[in-house]
Parts: sequence; C-alpha cells; structure tokens
Amino acid sequence: MDKGGSRPNWDSPMQFVLACVSYAVGLGNVWRFPYLCQMHGGGGFMIPYLFMLLVEGVPLFCLELAIGQKMRLGSIGAWTAISPYLGGVGLASVMASLYLCLYYNIINGWSFWYLFHSFQSELPWAECPLNANLTGPLEECEKATATQYFFYRETLNISSSIEENGGVHTGQALCLLLAWIVTYLFIVRGVKSTGKVVYFTATFPYVVLIIYLIRGVTLHGAINGVKYMFTPKMEQLANPTTWINAATQIFFSLGLGFGSLIAFASYNEYNNNFERQAVIVSFINSGTSIFASIVTFAIYGFKATVNYENCLERVRLLLLNAFNLAEDTINMDNIFEWMERLNQTHPQQFAELDLGNCDLTQELDKAVEGPGLAFIVYSEAIKNMPLSQLWSVLYFFMLLLLGMGSMLGNITAITTPLRDFKIFSSVSVEVLNGLVCLFCMLLGLGFTTTSGNYWFTMFNDYGATFSLLFVVLIEVITVSYIYGIKRFEKDIEDMIGHRPNWYWKIMWAGISPILLIALFIFYIANYIMGGTPTYMAWNKDLGTSEVTPYPVFGQVFIVLLLASSVSCVPLTALYAYCRKRKRSHHKRQPTVSTLSA
Amino acid sequence: MSRLCVGSSHAYKVRISIKTALGNQAYVWNDNEMYLFRAAMAFALRSYHNGQEFNVSNIMVCNETPRVSFWFVVSSPENSSVLLKKGDVENAIRKSRNRINGAFLLTDQTLEFIDIPPTLAAPVMPVTPPWLIVFGVVMGAVGAGIIFLLVSSLVQSKRKKNKKTLDEDREDMRGIENGLGCDNLGGVYNTTFSDGDKFTPM
Repeated sequence: MDKGGSRPNWDSPMQFVLACVSYAVGLGNVWRFPYLCQMHGGGGFMIPYLFMLLVEGVPLFCLELAIGQKMRLGSIGAWTAISPYLGGVGLASVMASLYLCLYYNIINGWSFWYLFHSFQSELPWAECPLNANLTGPLEECEKATATQYFFYRETLNISSSIEENGGVHTGQALCLLLAWIVTYLFIVRGVKSTGKVVYFTATFPYVVLIIYLIRGVTLHGAINGVKYMFTPKMEQLANPTTWINAATQIFFSLGLGFGSLIAFASYNEYNNNFERQAVIVSFINSGTSIFASIVTFAIYGFKATVNYENCLERVRLLLLNAFNLAEDTINMDNIFEWMERLNQTHPQQFAELDLGNCDLTQELDKAVEGPGLAFIVYSEAIKNMPLSQLWSVLYFFMLLLLGMGSMLGNITAITTPLRDFKIFSSVSVEVLNGLVCLFCMLLGLGFTTTSGNYWFTMFNDYGATFSLLFVVLIEVITVSYIYGIKRFEKDIEDMIGHRPNWYWKIMWAGISPILLIALFIFYIANYIMGGTPTYMAWNKDLGTSEVTPYPVFGQVFIVLLLASSVSCVPLTALYAYCRKRKRSHHKRQPTVSTLSA
Repeated sequence: MSRLCVGSSHAYKVRISIKTALGNQAYVWNDNEMYLFRAAMAFALRSYHNGQEFNVSNIMVCNETPRVSFWFVVSSPENSSVLLKKGDVENAIRKSRNRINGAFLLTDQTLEFIDIPPTLAAPVMPVTPPWLIVFGVVMGAVGAGIIFLLVSSLVQSKRKKNKKTLDEDREDMRGIENGLGCDNLGGVYNTTFSDGDKFTPM
C-alpha cells in the first residue's frame, strides 16, 4: 500500500470530480427518471427519491470512494487486500462491468447513427418511405409511426423474435466500430487521457440541456406536460413499488458496484477529501435527473399537444368529407359543438364514422422509458420543431456525450484491476486498453444482428442488475462488520484528517444494509413470481411491439448471466481457502526436515 | 342522365379543398371554376385518346355540395348516350394530373379524385447516402487523433529511454578518473570482490 509510487494520478481533484459526474450522469438520468416520475405521481416522487438519496445513495457512494482511495488498487486488488476471501467481490464487479461494456456502446452506436442521419435536408424519420409502386407509404410504416419504423426497421432491421437470426447490419456495425474507436481515444493513456476528456463530457451535456430547456418551455403546448408532471399524486406514496423504484433508481443511477468508482478513486492523492466530493457528485447526479425530467416533460407536453391537434384535424376532415360541409364551417373552436349537432341530426351516419378518441390526457399518459423514449419519442417531438435538423444534431450529440462519459467509467473498471495483476503490468497502457476495447467490440458485434436488440434487452435487464445488488450488499457488510467500522473510521481519519460523523456510521452499519437486503429480497420475489421472463418483440405486420416469452435457451442464458457474476464471490472464496490450506500444509513440511538435519 | 352520375361504374367523385391549399389567397368556387374543371377534363381526355375530340359538353357534373365535392361522368364524343368506362377516364386523369392540378393551383391532396390514388414523387436518392459522408469525416478525424496520440507516446517513451541511457552513461563515467576507463587498464578482473552473490548469505 505505497502512498506515493508510480501509480498515475488525476491532474487535479477537479478532474476526479468531473470524471465521477461524467460517469454517474448518463442515459438513465434522461430516459429512466422521467418515466418513474410520471409513473409514480409526478412531483410527489421527489420525496421517496430524495429520501433514498440520503439514506442509500450518498453513503454507498462515499464508501466506494473511500475504499478505492485507501487501497489504491482496482476492485479485485482492493477487495483481496481487505480480505483474501473476498477477492470474488471485485471479480463479480469486473464481470458486471464487462457485460455492461459489451452492450452499452451499442447505444452510443445508435446515437452516432441518428446523429449522422440528422445531416439531411429532411430528417429521415419525419416521413414514411413510399412503397414499390409509389402509391402510398410502406405498409409497416403506416401501421406504426414513421419514427418507430425508422428505429425498428432502418436502424435495427429487427427480426420478429429472438429465435430468428439474420446477418449483421453494416451501418450499425460501422457505428459500433466508431463508438469503440472514440472510447479508445478517450482512454488510450489511462487517467491521463480520461482526465482531460471529462472536462468536456461532463459539462457540455448541461449546455445542451439548458438550450433544450429554453426551447422546450417555449414550445406550443409544453406547459401541459410540465403541469402534468408537477401535479403531485400523493396517493402513489402509499404504493411500496414507488419506494422500491426510487431506491433502485438511485442505486443504478450512481453506478454503484461496478468498480468504476473504486478505480477512479484509486488514482487519487491519498489525502483527497472524498467525503465532500461524494456528497457533491451524488447531489449533482440527482439534480441533473430532475432537470432532465423538466425538459422531458416539456417535450412530452409539446408532443402530446401536437398529436392531439392532429387527431382533431383528422376528425374535422372526416366530418367535412362525410357531411359535405363547406371547408370553413368547422374549425378547432367549434368542432365539439358540431360533433354533438351532427350526432343529433344524423345519428346513424355519425355512428358509422370511425372518429377515434382525441384525448390530451391520454396522450400525456403515454409513458415510455429506455431507448424507446430517447430514440422514438424524442425524435418524434424534434421532427415537429422548426429547424429540426439543428435540434436533432444537438440532442443526439448530448446523448452521445452522456453515453461516452459513462463508458469511460465502465471501461476503467475493467482496465484498472487488470493492470494491477503482475502479468499485465509489463504490457504498456495503450496496448492493454486497446486489447480490451477490441475484445469488447468483437463480442459486441453480436448485438448488431437482426435479433441483436432482443439480446441487448436481455443483457440490459439481467446482465448487471441483480448481481450489483448482491455485490454492494456484500461490500457494505464487509466494510461494516468484517473489516470493522472502527478500522474503517481510522483509515478515513488517516486520509482526510477527521473521523466520519454519526450520519455515515449509522448508514454504513445499519440502514443501508437493511435497505439493500429489502431490495434484494424484492428482486428475487419479483423474479420468481413473475413467471416466465418476457420481452417485447416487434411484429412488423401489426406495426407494434408485443409481449413474448423467452424461449428455453433464452431463459438458460439469463440464468447464466446472473450466475456467472454472482458465483464469482463464493468460488473465489473457496479458491482462496484451498490455496491457504495448501500453503499452510506446505509450510509445515520444511520445519520437519531442518529438525531432522 | 343524372341517375347514372352518382356511384355507378362510370362516375367519379371529386373533392376540392381550396382553403386548405391556399389559405388567405383562396378563390371562390363558382360556375366559372366549374367550367374550367370541365375544360380541363376534356383536355385530359383529348391528350389521352389521340384523335377523339372531347368537348366541355361531354363532361357532365352533378351533386355539387358546399364542401366543394361533386360527381362527374364522361360521355363519348361520337355518341353522347354512351358513357366512358372508369378505367379510361382514370388513365387519362393520371396522365395529365399535374396539368389539372396546376390549372387550379392545387395539389394531389387538395384536388382529390376519390379512388384514383396519386402517383407520389419518387424520393431523391443521392449516390452516397449523406450519413456515410459524415461518418467518414468523423472516423477520419478520430483515427488521426489516435494515431497522433500513439505516435507521440512512442516518441516520448523513446526519448525517455534515451535520457535514461544517457544518465546511466554519465554514472558509468564516474569510474574514469584520468579519462581512462577501468576496463582499459589492461588488468585481470579479480572476481573475489565482485558484486554477484554466488554464495548464500549467512
């Protein structure tokens, strides 16, 4: 545990803070938090969210930073140093990070794809392409919407289920290649490169968010969305799912358990004040989530209003054509009066018309999360804005920066522990990082096939969720009870000059473990009671996604994903135990021979 | 004749939306405009059926509504009691659609012939998809950046190695007192006091 030595360092504490912000503030802040906010009562969701931040987020974040900064090793080395039986915790983190790296850069590939396609006179997702005899739009596109068609058909060329496979989508593969090359460019010299890049990746997304906020709230109908979000539905607080989702969101949003925070902190000066930085970064992360959700709801409001008005326009045309009224008799103000009047005067004819239901609240209720929100809903809203190419470029560039910033942490979580091993320390930094990137890219090409998006969803849902809860639970119990809170306190005092106060100790030793155990139990119960795991398969005849159960090999793979990272902990403990026994057995023999000599 | 006008196998329904197309500059639909329509139809039929001289009187309109929609049938110029079949009329309209639209300052969507789908304009496909161009630019820039970084770190490490050997040489020079290296004195190397520990330490 050398305090100086040849370990590279951040150029300044600011670089470290920006690296943590860049890592923690990622796509989940943009596409998961607004969804949760909408599902769980709008403004009222802030209460469980901030509660979980204080009780779970900040203490666990600080814990990981402390471990990294104290041990000055990656996750595997750090946990082995704490206890030789617990090196498996670090290994499980590396496995989870590896799974994440495999599929996360696919999202960056999509961002590149959309970004490059924005440089056209008309955005390709604005209009449906025409069919073969040029009489109308393509059937699949007409049943779905133009933006959905662009995402599922032209971007992914998705097959109809996970069992059907096809070739690699060359455009996607090229974008993935570019994403990995850019990632390599950012990490090529380790912290020295990463430290300079994070100045941009951490700050520029905020510039775009502010620009979007101003644009968003000035859009027609945006105020409907913002009002909808901030009207709290307090009865949601009684629903336990709200609190569980708040806890899960804080947990995954901060990126705990991947080993990235340990890796970043291991490059710190020994006396860096990580306690204050942990609080700052956690609050910046949550603040960004709330800020991004205001922007998202303004966009939602705009999109819902546009759809609602288009719906009314469609009804107006139908009425005009069916009853042969002059064009200017019905307009937006009197359409409802006319509907009633026509219903009374010509009830039969009126009933035959397929008017549909135009409801603004129903449009606002449509909640989407995940890539669907980022790539379908947002691009639909953007195509209706004036100067849509500019807004599209800005938006996808921001998504790219958010995703790349998180990738920096994910990749560093793999390369840092690898470098700690003796075999790799002779290899130069550039070569090792290059090999890791190459390996992940080649495996990631599997996600660019026609069924690749279904595998992506599987990895996203199961690859790094359950195992992380397990890892962090073991982490906090280890530090509080096996390593001991007293020893930990002393280490912290050694590093930053004062002991952690009662808030930290209560959280680390008491409340956070209990909360994590509750989350853990909930996850297991949910998985067991959920029946066969399902996924959303795109049906090109209906132009919509439908719930499909995973086939047997899919379910087996899910179990493998979960087991492969979780089992690292007991297997490594067993391995360490066997090695210790062999060594102590071996040590006993020479003493006998010298005595006899 | 007006019984055959609506909904038969010979009649077409037309719907015109002037205000949607022209907004403030919309003209009023009146009998003159209707005359122009019949003339345009006659023109279209003349262009299609080369030789047959259709007249305005061959185009009969009925059931005009305030929507501005109406039905029309076309009779043959030779025998005014024979109506032209829909297929012929359709092909004629399709051929001269742009000219008919232009006469009224309307488009395919605002001058609708119900049951004749418009032939939409083929999308302009550039030879190289534009996204590939932007991709190439970005890939080139990033590739250049990586090569630059790798080369500069290689140069740096070589410079460091040269500096290290220079320092080592300088340290070796300390053993040369009068400008003569120990090795050049021509003596025999006594191994008793060498540094290498061939014997195990006590």
